[in-house]
Amino acid sequence: MTDEAALDAAALQRFLDHAEPDRGPAVTSLRPISGGYSRLSALATVRWADGSEESFVLRADPPPDTGVFESDRDEEFQLLRSLHGKLTVRTPNVRWYDSTGEYFGAKTLVVDFFKARPLPEVVAAEGIPRATEIFVDTISRIHTSPLDAMPAELARPPDPQGYVDDLVDLLRRLDRDVSDSNPFVHYAAAQLRAHRPPPMPLTIVHGDCQPANVLVPDSGEVLMIDWEFGRIGDPREDLGYYSHLPVPPNLYEADPAGFLARYRERTGATEEQVNADTVSYFYVLGMARLLGQMFAGADALAQGRPRGVMATYMMNGTAATTRGFLDIARRLAASAA
Amino acid sequence: MLSRPTTEQILLDCCRELMTGVLPALTDETAIVRVVMVETVMRNMAVRSAHEIAWMHEEIAAIEGYCRSVAAVVPDNSELTEALPAAGAAPARSLHLDDVVEAYVRAGRAFSAALEAAVASGDQDLMKRGEALLDSRADIETEVMAGWSPTGR
Repeated sequence: MTDEAALDAAALQRFLDHAEPDRGPAVTSLRPISGGYSRLSALATVRWADGSEESFVLRADPPPDTGVFESDRDEEFQLLRSLHGKLTVRTPNVRWYDSTGEYFGAKTLVVDFFKARPLPEVVAAEGIPRATEIFVDTISRIHTSPLDAMPAELARPPDPQGYVDDLVDLLRRLDRDVSDSNPFVHYAAAQLRAHRPPPMPLTIVHGDCQPANVLVPDSGEVLMIDWEFGRIGDPREDLGYYSHLPVPPNLYEADPAGFLARYRERTGATEEQVNADTVSYFYVLGMARLLGQMFAGADALAQGRPRGVMATYMMNGTAATTRGFLDIARRLAASAA
Repeated sequence: MLSRPTTEQILLDCCRELMTGVLPALTDETAIVRVVMVETVMRNMAVRSAHEIAWMHEEIAAIEGYCRSVAAVVPDNSELTEALPAAGAAPARSLHLDDVVEAYVRAGRAFSAALEAAVASGDQDLMKRGEALLDSRADIETEVMAGWSPTGR
């Protein structure tokens, strides 16, 4: 691997010449596309010797020791391979994987391009209620899918309550290995520990559950993308994570009661398990891992290992997030007073 | 040293230069996003540079008072009884930024332990006092954010 991923047409050509030597690939276009906060992405078109054309999305690791949000490309590859065709929503079809970075300079997934609109475009065209139906139904389908769709080697938490307790401990330990302290997470963790919600069966958790990751075709099932934080966990982590996501329009904030009623109807969850309070509770837990990565990104600079401006820029996100934690902790404390 | 313009004024002037002199000349989307982020961080740091030593000093005093109150109610909390002396041993008189930050971080660790102890004790008054201190810290962090709003996707 090199320091910089080379998501260019020449690299893809070399890669396909190696991966599909008998099909006569010719890369006809490749352009960078937005890959969110954490990955480098590109859209490419390839013409095969038989005259057919296909488009692919390339998704590569950023240069080492840069960026804020880290995930494991090998695990994402295993997860996508395992999920494909097993859920009632579509998941990306991985065609090839440069697992060593030999061709692209970084580990790179090559997946089929899917012609569809991101769900936020549906909001603009068809309104919030329709988009909310699509989003809630997509989440519900993921959360009601059998766990054996996940890779066999993926860690299975022992039980729902123990899993939640472990997440609270994770939250409490977020600043243990960094050089700054964050009292907000300790107060939130203490209140979460004191006010545990009723357990729910563990499910597939997407980990970055937001409308931008739902692609809606003109017909047929939607495609859920960006599974890099996918895991087995409490389904309310996805609900909580999205509930406070500050990307307008937030489909949850538009009508929390309607959003959750539809989710309960689709999943069979009870109102005791899924309500505005439990969603807030799991907002804190659903953000814990990302917040830990934001702490680590800022701490790297404090230790003389800068990871780029995103890490310091995201200190604003840390402040906004922990302020939200305080509000939720305060409500939990007040509910018991 | 040359003291005027202040650090805050210099940083804000650099921000203006970036946004009016550099950004309009850029065409590369990645570079544009980076410059916007750098400008945001510099505005954050302008606010910090103007007040951070005073803010930390004031908060350290309030935190230590709170921690002592919690320790009086929950005397057997090992994390708090370890963190409080460590906070007290931090350089207290120096105004050099590294020393103030060290004292602030140690006070923060004691504060974290005190907040956990307060919740475990169920003492509503201690919890409310802790929340008030967190509110003050959050207000300062909001001021440092200098109007930041989430972007990036």
